[in-house]
Amino acid sequence: MVNLKNNDKKNDMETAQKISLLMDKAGIDEYEIYISNSIDNDIEIFEGEVESLSYSDSKGAGIRVFKENSIGYAYTNSFEENSLSDTIEKAILNSKITAREDINGLPSKDEYKYPDAPDLSREMYDEEFFKATIEDKIKLSMDLEKIVKGKDRRISGLDSLNYSDNFSETTLLNSKGFKGAYKSTSCFLFLNIISKEGDDTSTGFSFSYGRNPQKLNLEKIAQEAVSKSVNLLGAKKIKSKNADILLDSLVSSQFLGVIASILTSDSVQKGKSLFKDKLGEKIFSENINIFDSGILKKGFSSKPFDAEGVNKGNTQIFKDGVLQTYLYDCYTARKDKTLSTGNAVRSSYKSTPSVGISNFYMEPSKDKSFENILKSIDDGFYVIDIIGLHSGANPVTGDISVGAKGLWIKNGTLDFPVKEVTIATDILSFCKKIHTIGSDLKFFPSGGFIGSPSLYIKDISISGI
Amino acid sequence: MINKATAKKVLNQLLGSGGQFGELFVQKKVANNLRLDDNKIENSSSGFEIGCGLRLIYKDSTYYGFVDSVEEAKLIESAKILSFAVSNSKINKPLDLNESRNSYNIKILDYPDKVLPEIKKQILVSVNSSARNKSEYIYQVTAALSDLEEEIIIANSEGVFSKNFLVKTFLAVSVIALRGAEVRTGYKSLAKTKGFELFTEKKPEDVASEAAAMAINMLDAINAPVGISPVIIGPGFGGVIFHEACGHGLEADAIIKNASVFKDKIGSRIASETVTAIDDSTLEYHWGSYKFDDEGCSSQRNVLIEKGILKSYLLDVKSSKKLSLPQTGNGRRQSYRDIPFPRMSNTFIDNGVEKPDTILGSVKKGIYAKEFSGGQVDPATGDFVFGISEGYMIENGQLGYPIKGATLIGNGPEILGKIEAVGNDIDYAPGFCGKNGQSVTNEVGQPTIKVSSITVGGTGAA
Repeated sequence: MVNLKNNDKKNDMETAQKISLLMDKAGIDEYEIYISNSIDNDIEIFEGEVESLSYSDSKGAGIRVFKENSIGYAYTNSFEENSLSDTIEKAILNSKITAREDINGLPSKDEYKYPDAPDLSREMYDEEFFKATIEDKIKLSMDLEKIVKGKDRRISGLDSLNYSDNFSETTLLNSKGFKGAYKSTSCFLFLNIISKEGDDTSTGFSFSYGRNPQKLNLEKIAQEAVSKSVNLLGAKKIKSKNADILLDSLVSSQFLGVIASILTSDSVQKGKSLFKDKLGEKIFSENINIFDSGILKKGFSSKPFDAEGVNKGNTQIFKDGVLQTYLYDCYTARKDKTLSTGNAVRSSYKSTPSVGISNFYMEPSKDKSFENILKSIDDGFYVIDIIGLHSGANPVTGDISVGAKGLWIKNGTLDFPVKEVTIATDILSFCKKIHTIGSDLKFFPSGGFIGSPSLYIKDISISGI
Repeated sequence: MINKATAKKVLNQLLGSGGQFGELFVQKKVANNLRLDDNKIENSSSGFEIGCGLRLIYKDSTYYGFVDSVEEAKLIESAKILSFAVSNSKINKPLDLNESRNSYNIKILDYPDKVLPEIKKQILVSVNSSARNKSEYIYQVTAALSDLEEEIIIANSEGVFSKNFLVKTFLAVSVIALRGAEVRTGYKSLAKTKGFELFTEKKPEDVASEAAAMAINMLDAINAPVGISPVIIGPGFGGVIFHEACGHGLEADAIIKNASVFKDKIGSRIASETVTAIDDSTLEYHWGSYKFDDEGCSSQRNVLIEKGILKSYLLDVKSSKKLSLPQTGNGRRQSYRDIPFPRMSNTFIDNGVEKPDTILGSVKKGIYAKEFSGGQVDPATGDFVFGISEGYMIENGQLGYPIKGATLIGNGPEILGKIEAVGNDIDYAPGFCGKNGQSVTNEVGQPTIKVSSITVGGTGAA
């Protein structure tokens, strides 16, 4: 139906090689060319109609130059020769004002911590993806709307129902001889519904993702969003107190995300992490193991190599509660005289590589299902959703204070809904207070791919009335 | 980039299968970003982007696509493919294009793309040293200097042809202070829709000192108390609460989706009489200002709430047609890749009459929230949470100990009714607002205000 295909799109590796010919002549020491090219579809449904449908096909290149031990960067989405020359010139100009350091430079093979990654192409890319037409995707989204509306009479409307998918190709070439490319497919369905009873309004969201649209579980998304929303109708504030809390895996994964952000070597080396000087220390209780894997099967952040071409691997960050290592790119690894864990990331061709997570997750327990944990709690707060984590968590100081809603637990069962309270702690106490780990590991895409089981945490400060 | 004749041809093609509204959004962006961290210039990056977004509306559906090019042949081809989304025997002809004009004219003195990299570097180097010179406890300084020059041309089938040229300069400084085991952070930013003359009006070094002062003040912070308390919210960035908890609910797409507590409330009292709130995209050089919005509609001043009575929503083309209300110049988008929708520009609670000291003096025991780290709101319910990044206890009408780890939680509409006093010291603060995955520039603002009671979350004793 709508298909704005760019006719002049050529093989990206050829384009990269064309750029490299220009760069060979530019009088620089080393360089790297990163090209990303993606096709995106977005569909928004509202009241049985297509509210909007957009299609995009875009491509851009980012180039990083190393000259006299300084780095410069520039990007462009125009591949005409004069634009490319301008971009190279700007990157060189930029290198003239950045810090000059011996450890700046492209990675060498002997700086990789991990061997070549297993073949991930079938994990990342699914041919089935291309079988679904735009009409199929519209129908799927409309079907979800129908399923939702039939679930509960208290549902008053949909705040948003969005389907989006992406096919992308990433190409990397550097002057040390690295050449690599990978492609991936993904689709994502998001739903936020509104329910009303009397004067009370409540919202609930859910989502599903997969490598092709058939992997999206409509029934599950609908049920989750509806339950979240209607179960919180009639929620009330509670008195301020200290209480035990049970975090839904969606919530615990967000807390894990804050922890992940200060396990990068970059934040540690700059003194922005409270995990600085804590290698070998016990941060969590002994049953806790945390990994960052770039090669996890079904992991949405899995890929063969990182943003500067270093092999991805599986890094155990916490073993039996003890901090083992930080996450490294090539520059920070040289600084700490260690090897790169393949954690250079970039959000698009417009950004330079920086240190970030891949598939970051806490290992689940074997036997403690969510229901079993719930049954064991006499008095506590089951937190379904939190808001304000971005502003309420300060990863540098460790303070966390966020808004929470959920259900109060009495004698092992869910009793009444609670809203407009905050839960506050600090990162290190949070880590220590984790009492029970669920067996229900779930992953959530949020700036990387973060997975957590539900967590039962003792003695947290709750502020209400 | 594109002339009227070409635009007309593309629009003709776009409406060729019976679409009701067609639009081109052509954009060229030249951006530079410089970052200092850990005492050194860590990154210097420049970018060039050009492209055109094409939008077609038929009945209630929007069809959108873009190309990374402004060549006529590519635009015609794209318009043709997009037009296939619609099939309607009634063909609407686009109207003749007339170049839009208005009185918003600002003058740029020092174009950022022409400023030498070495001068930009010096700005960040002096930011770093002034923050560090402020105190021995300053432990880390991170500073970013970004500039953008963008050219936008919009043409639509209703005859709009607008040209916009924007220059944006942004400086942000983050500071970490360390004393013994206490770690605190400070942040300040300076941003205007103007060139580097920005730094002759306010010195980058002063922005750095302010960020450093904040971190140092907070070193003495005690744990924030929990429970309900009167709260005074300071001028400037405090306006973020109004932006998040009320402003988003006034964006007309939320009204249409029945996802706003302000639906059907025009003409009703929604706030105490002391509150007048405005969205004004015409404030010269302010961070959220523009000559035309991203649909070619002239910027304007919109009174949202007047003495507590709801007066207006914020509208774009689509919501204006749907609600039969005039456009307000609030159709905005992140780039040519994105569909526009209603967004705030510079949104603020207007000046009241009270002196800030009098307001402070009226609180026996409470919280003074000076700066926020941001917040989040559920627009359908108005429930919000805000993290206080610089706050103090109020005791007997005076500022007391700084507090850490504090969060305000409440409900926007309820809080609007609890604003007891509005000061006369309005100030503004620049920022970025994300909605539906798109980020745009915004300014928030307010004078000192007093809210009779809000729940404060923290870890200290009540």
